[in-house]
Order: sequence, then structure tokens, then C-alpha cells
Amino acid sequence: MDVSRPGKGRLRIAVTGASGDYGRLLLSRLDQDPDVESILVLDVVRPEGDKVEFHRVDLTRYDAESELTDALTERPVDALYHLAFLFGPIRNGSLAHELEVIGTMNVLTAAGRSRLPRLVVPSLTAVYGARGNNPAMLREDSALQGCPHSRFVTDKVEVEGQVRAFRERHPDMRVLVLRFAPVLGPSVDNPATRFLKNPVVPTLMGFDPLWQGLHEDDAARALHLALRADASGEFNIVGRGVMPISGLIQQAGARPLPLPGPLFRAGLHTLDAVGAGTLPVALLDYIHYSWVADGERAESALGFIPLHHVRDAAAALKRS
Amino acid sequence: MAKGVLGNDPFKRGAASRPTESSTPGGEDKAAAAETKKKPGPGGTASAKAGGKAAAAKSRKHEGKKTSGKAKGGKAAGGMKGAAAAARPPAQAPGTRAPAPQAERTEAANAALSPREPAPSQQARTPQAPQTSAHGADDAVLPLREPAVSTPLTLDSQAPGPVNDAGAPTPKQRDVDLALAEALAADVAEAVATAAVDAALGAETGPDAEVERLMATEFATELAEAAVEEALERGAPAPSLEQEQERAAAVAAQVADSAARAAIEQVRALHATPDAPAVTRWERETPVRVVVTEEADTSAVEPEVELPDATRDELPPSRRGPLSLVPPPATNAGEPSYRESFPADSGRGEPEGLRPLAERAVAALSLARDIAGQALASESLARALLAMGGLKDMLRAGLGTGGGANLDEYGKDPSLVERLEPVLEFLYSQYWRVSVQGVDHVPPGAAILVANHSGALPYDGLVMSMALTRERPDLRDPRWLVEDQIFHAPMVGTLFNRLGAVRACPENALRLLDEHRPLVVFPEGYQALSKPFGERYRLKRFGRGGFVKLALRTGAPIVPVAIVGAEETSPLLGRIPASFLGLPYVPVTPLGPLPLPAKWSIRFGEPIGVEDLEPEAADDLGEVQRLTERTREAIQSMLQSLLRERRSVFAG
Repeated sequence: MDVSRPGKGRLRIAVTGASGDYGRLLLSRLDQDPDVESILVLDVVRPEGDKVEFHRVDLTRYDAESELTDALTERPVDALYHLAFLFGPIRNGSLAHELEVIGTMNVLTAAGRSRLPRLVVPSLTAVYGARGNNPAMLREDSALQGCPHSRFVTDKVEVEGQVRAFRERHPDMRVLVLRFAPVLGPSVDNPATRFLKNPVVPTLMGFDPLWQGLHEDDAARALHLALRADASGEFNIVGRGVMPISGLIQQAGARPLPLPGPLFRAGLHTLDAVGAGTLPVALLDYIHYSWVADGERAESALGFIPLHHVRDAAAALKRS
Repeated sequence: MAKGVLGNDPFKRGAASRPTESSTPGGEDKAAAAETKKKPGPGGTASAKAGGKAAAAKSRKHEGKKTSGKAKGGKAAGGMKGAAAAARPPAQAPGTRAPAPQAERTEAANAALSPREPAPSQQARTPQAPQTSAHGADDAVLPLREPAVSTPLTLDSQAPGPVNDAGAPTPKQRDVDLALAEALAADVAEAVATAAVDAALGAETGPDAEVERLMATEFATELAEAAVEEALERGAPAPSLEQEQERAAAVAAQVADSAARAAIEQVRALHATPDAPAVTRWERETPVRVVVTEEADTSAVEPEVELPDATRDELPPSRRGPLSLVPPPATNAGEPSYRESFPADSGRGEPEGLRPLAERAVAALSLARDIAGQALASESLARALLAMGGLKDMLRAGLGTGGGANLDEYGKDPSLVERLEPVLEFLYSQYWRVSVQGVDHVPPGAAILVANHSGALPYDGLVMSMALTRERPDLRDPRWLVEDQIFHAPMVGTLFNRLGAVRACPENALRLLDEHRPLVVFPEGYQALSKPFGERYRLKRFGRGGFVKLALRTGAPIVPVAIVGAEETSPLLGRIPASFLGLPYVPVTPLGPLPLPAKWSIRFGEPIGVEDLEPEAADDLGEVQRLTERTREAIQSMLQSLLRERRSVFAG
């Protein structure tokens, strides 16, 4: 356990964005971890939990960085989970950008100043982008092509760039980026679950790309494993198996409705323009081409072996 | 003595074929008991032997009958051993019972039982009956059977039931009915005879009283059974099984009752007279029966060997169903006609005028069902239906609604391939008549199969993978690499992906070779598909030597492959620009997306090994170029020879 410092048996962990889906999943795990002494929550809302020490920080404010540094240096922490991210595009694009890119910048600066031993940042496999020229299995070193139409994914790619630069500047720190496949489960809410929860799900006619899915329990386990793993870098956190999107839809209890591409595209853009869009336009790319990430590295370096098959993860949506 | 021999045989079989003795001891014990009692005189021994044999044989027959009864009545007497089964009045099995004196019978059972309690201490050793004595020895150690009474209930003459079944197929039902009726009658006769003999002998006691009782019962039973048989065979067919049974039972009861006294007399006379006359008497009497018995036993051997096994109660209930003495008339016709036999059966007894009409109608109906069933079961239709199902699935997969939960990470759907198997099989072996040569050149493990790409529609990858799966099942599931373009096309790309095509890129190729799969590559790529028909079988530039670099880096051998026939399968007649579909063009082919039935030949060449080259040679462009050219020449020369050998494009 490289995380624990000499002379200190128990872990003190800081978490930003503890009220989000990842934060919720992680906190319940950390609460049950006997090695975790206390959880310093740096957020705007106080979450439940016995071990929680709350320190109100608004990452979108200009003074967030100094507040974070103060909080982190006042009592040193063993690990910082930076989970303050959005789980899907929001209409207020500039706020999203402030939170994700600027917020991460603040967190990274504070982390660098307080000499944290470990930083964990979640990301998405969507940053690889869904392209026709993707290899069958995307490894961590594949290029992050992102999705040019989606501010949300572009922001994520930018955050990844920041974190990578930070990792290179601080080789003594363990910086883990967990690229999650779409997290599916009864208690999470993201574009993928919203997409699959419709009774009839439009798809692109003639295309049936392979999707991966990650059960929320597996996601929580991966986050928890990152606390102790003796590794650094990016990891694809994916569930077992792959499924075509139509199979995923059927597993989730819905029916796929193949629409001709141009029609679907035009319809989605129109809906988006009038502000009634329920599906993000960027999703079109992801239901067009496959983006299957290889979870081999997470297994070997992180010790993360998914327990749930993607079809179980999708079926969990139906039960909810 | 024929009877003795015949009576003996089933014993041995029974002893051999049955692990549990409990079912046989009935007859054997009886034989033993009779034998010991008969000890005093040699004549007595002979008769006892005969009686014992008869009883034993009868018990066996009875079992056979019972099987039929069970099977017919649908009674699954689970967990019931032969002895236990015999203990219960066996007449329960076949449907409605004649008002046979049940109580009487049980009484008789008790009466018959008590005298047999003492185990035989000595064995008869008469020159005439060596086997008998052996049986006596055997029987001595066997536990005394309780259900003895009901065991010897059938007559020798009942054996013709199964015999006739085997011989004449048409009146099978009738035979079974007869056999059932006879079994029942025998039961009744025995019970009645026992009761009558008991009544006649009364309180008489003495050393021979028990033996006399037994023998008299035997005689009476036999007489009654013979009478029943005669009545059944000579008499007009009764309208139904129940009536027949009732009649048989009534005859049996009457004859047995009246014969009891005569039987006792006979026994006493027998007893009194010296051995020789007794024997002759028996012999005089037996021939009549022996004839019957003989044919019964010899021909009944087959069913008898089978039946005891069938009656085993260890048999799962599911296997009891087909255990009928009457096999369904036409096995392939299946259920309908089997069910049909029952109306036909009951119709048999109807007045003569109605019969032909009804029979004809029934026959016509069953024939129609047969035809329908056969048509449905016929292989070609089934295959056509399967193929339709497969094509539907293929269409759905192409449209993007196929679903599927067990795809591999490359996107191949093994279950879809399985469902398409009828179509693929037809294309492969009947439509294209693919002939494969030199497939043994493909080494096990990772191998790069380099083939010429041809035809406007890339069926060749699919055919290559089919050829490898069929001809070399020892190899791992092969994959073929296709260019990106196909994945930009709706439907086609998805479908190819589901069938096993993988996008050509170094990452995929390395991963596939890491998995020790044969990897089919078409280095000419898309140019080979877009070349006009006039340039068929002329190899284009082999890409940039990517497959050679791959081979050098992984050490996988290169196997050159020549494919002839694909060009004519879908000759390119023209191109329609189709950039709106994501495709550079849509090819114009004679039958649209359907292929022509050209004959395919695939020849695998000698592998080109790269073991002697360092992986670093992959960066040596000259080396890569040399190997590329070598492969290209190998394929081109194989193509030429295949084309020379080809006599006709479509035939052959």
C-alpha cells in the first residue's frame, strides 16, 4: 500500500463532486472501507456519510484554486478523487466548460501545490471517438479523436490533455485516469441510460455498432481499486463483452427503430435547434460506428475484472 | 421333451437378464415346490417338472402381457418390482376387468401360499430332467415368493399374441386384445381353479394333499385356458376389448370350476399309477399343447428377451411410452397415424356394412396426415425454411435490428452464422461447388493467407473462411480483413462484420494473429474489385506490403492463395456513383447483389516462411518489396495454372 504514508495507518481521502453519480458510487464504498479514516468532500453540497468532512468549494469560482489548496494542505490527504464532472451535455455550454475544464485546471494546480500522492480522474471511452477507422479494440494509447460536434466530449478530451500534462510534470505522483464505458445501472443517469430507457429507440438504419457497457457496481469497484493500485496512467474501464446497439436496446426492454441516416440526422438537429432535443446530437456518431475499448490494461495493472456482462448492465436498466 | 427345453430357456435368460431375482422366483419357486412334493415317484417328478416349466414359462409370458397392458393402458407402474407387480392382481393392468372373483382369488393366493413355505431340502435327480434339478437347486436359495398365485396366470397358448404381432402387421391390435383377454382369463381361471380345488379337496390332509392341490389347480387352469383360447379364436370377434375380456373371463371361470373336480381325479389317478403310465399320459396330453408352446416359445424369443428389460421399473417414465407390443404402423408417419389406429380399432367390431366406409375414411384421413407430416418433415423443405429464417436474420442484422448478445469483440455473430448455415452450405457446395486444393499447406496457429481479391462483390472473404472452417476444422476460427470503405456503407458493412470480416488495420491484424488465427488478407484491396471484367485474374499492386511487415513482425508464415471463380460470380459491368451512401460507387452486376453460379477453385500454395528474417526486416523496404513480389508471383502462377485447368466457367 504505497498510498499510506509512513507512520500513518489509515487513509484520508479528498473527493470533489461527491454528489454526482461517481461520487455517490465511490462514497458508499469508501464508507465501508475500514482503512479509510475520513473523506474530505470538496463540493457545493454536503453528502451523507459518517466519515465525511465537508468543505464547501465551488470549482467554477475564480478563488476555487486557493480554497482547494488550503483545504488540501491544512491536513494532508492520501488521495484526491476529482469527480466533479458532468455526466452528459447540458444546455449551458459555458457553465459546463467552466466546471470541467477550468475546474480541473484549479484542481490540478491545487494538487500540484499540495504535493498529493495520488489523483484519480474519471473520463469516458467516448473520448476515443466513434469512427469508421477505429480498430476493433481501442487501447489506451489510441488517439483521442473525440467528437467534433459535441462540446461535452471535446471538453473531456481537453481535460484528459490537462491531466496528461500534469502527470508528465509530476512523475512522482500517481495520476490515474479511468476511462469508463457508458455506465449503466438503475441509479445512474447519463445520456446512454436516457437513450436506452426510451420505449422505442431510434437507430441508424443499416448500422449496428458494437457498444460496451459498464454496470454501476463495476464502476464503483474500479474507482475504489484506483485508491490502492500501484499504477499510473489511463485505463479503459469496460464491462464484459460487447453488444450491438440493437441488442443493448432489446436487453434494456426497448425496441430499436432504424431510421435512414439523413432523416434521423435532420430530425435530431431540428429538435436540438428548437431546444426540445432529448438525445444529444453527438450520440449519432456513437450509434454509427463502433468504439470498443480494450480493458486489458485495467485488468493487468489495476486488477479490475468486470463482474457484469454488458447485457446484464443493460438488463439492469429495464428492472429499474 | 420340447416343453422341458423350451420351458427351460426363458429361465436362463431371465436369470441372466434380470439383476433382481424378485420377478422370476414366482415360477421357479413353484417348480421347486412342485418338484419336492413330487419326489416320491419318478412319474411325479416328470409331471412336476412339466408343471413347473409350464408355470415358469407362464410367468414369463405373463410379464410380457403385463408390459403390453401397461403400455396400452398408459399405466406407469413406477418403482414396482416384478414380484410386487405380480402380487397385485395383474388383471388390473388391462382396462376394465371382468367381474372376476377378486376375493376368491386372494383367498386362493393365501391358500396357495402357505404350502410352499417349507424350502425344498432335496433335489430331484431323474435322468429325464437334469435341468430341472438344477433349477431346483437354484430355487432353493431363492426367497420364497409371496406373489406366487398370480404369477402363473397365463397359458402357453397366450404366447401367440406376441408371435402374431411380429408376424402379421395388420391384425396387431386384434392380437393384443386377444392376448390381453387371454391373460385376464388365465388369471381368472387360475383363481377359480384354486378355489374350486380347495373346495373339492376340502379339509383333506396328508403328505400329498398339497401337491395334489397344486397339480389339480394346474390342470384345471390349463384346461380353462385352453378353452378360453379356443373360445377367443374360434368365436366371432367381440365388438370391443372389454367385451372380449369379459367373455374370456367368463369362459375361464366356468371351465376352471367344472374342471377342478376332474383335475383332482386325474391327479389322484396319476398319483396312484406307476411312473410310466403317468409319463405317457402327460406326453399324450402335452403334444397338443407342445405344438402351440413350441412355436410360441421359439418365435417369442425375441420379444421375450426384450420385454423383461422393458418392464424394468427403473426405466424412466419417458421411455415407457413406446413400449407397446404393437409398434406404430409407420414409424415415420409419427403420431397422427398412431392415434389413428384407435378409431380403426374400435371400428373393427362394427357391423359389416359400416366398416368399409368408416375404414376407408379413416385410412384416407391417416394417409393425408402421413403425407402432410412427411412433407413437413422432408429435409429439403425444412432446409428451405431454415434458410428463410437465416436470411431474415441476416436482413435484420443488416438493417441494424439484429440484436445478439454473444458477439465477439470484432463483431462476428456466431449464432447468425449458424442460422445462415443452410444458405452458406447451399452456396458453398451446390451453387459454387467450391473445390479446395492444398489446404494442408495452411500451418496451424497464426498464418497470413494472402489471396487475390476479385469480383465486384467481395464474396471471396466469406468463401475463404468457409473453406477453412470446412476443410481444416482443426484451425481456429479464421477472419478476413476488409477495407474501411465497406464499414462506411450501411447494411453491407454491418452484415460483413457480423459474418466475420474485420477492418483492415495493423492493430486488428496483430491482435488476430496473436490469437493464433488464420488471417485472410487481400492486399490488392479495393482496386481489385473495381477493375473491369476484362482484366480479370490480373493481380493489381499488392498494397504497400503491409502483410509482409505483419509477417515479419509476428513471424507468421505467408500462405499464397489463388481463388478462381469469384470474378465470374459477380462480374463488374459498370459503376454507379454513390457517394451519398458512403460508398465510392455501386457496382452493376448481372443479378444485382446475387452471385452467378460460377465454379470456384481455391488453391493454397506452399507457405513462404519468414523465420530466417529478423523482425527488424519489416523496416527494410527492399526486403518487404522482395517478399511482396514473391508472394504476388506465387499467387499469379497458381492463378494461371488454375485457369488453364479450368474447362468451363460454370460447369464442372
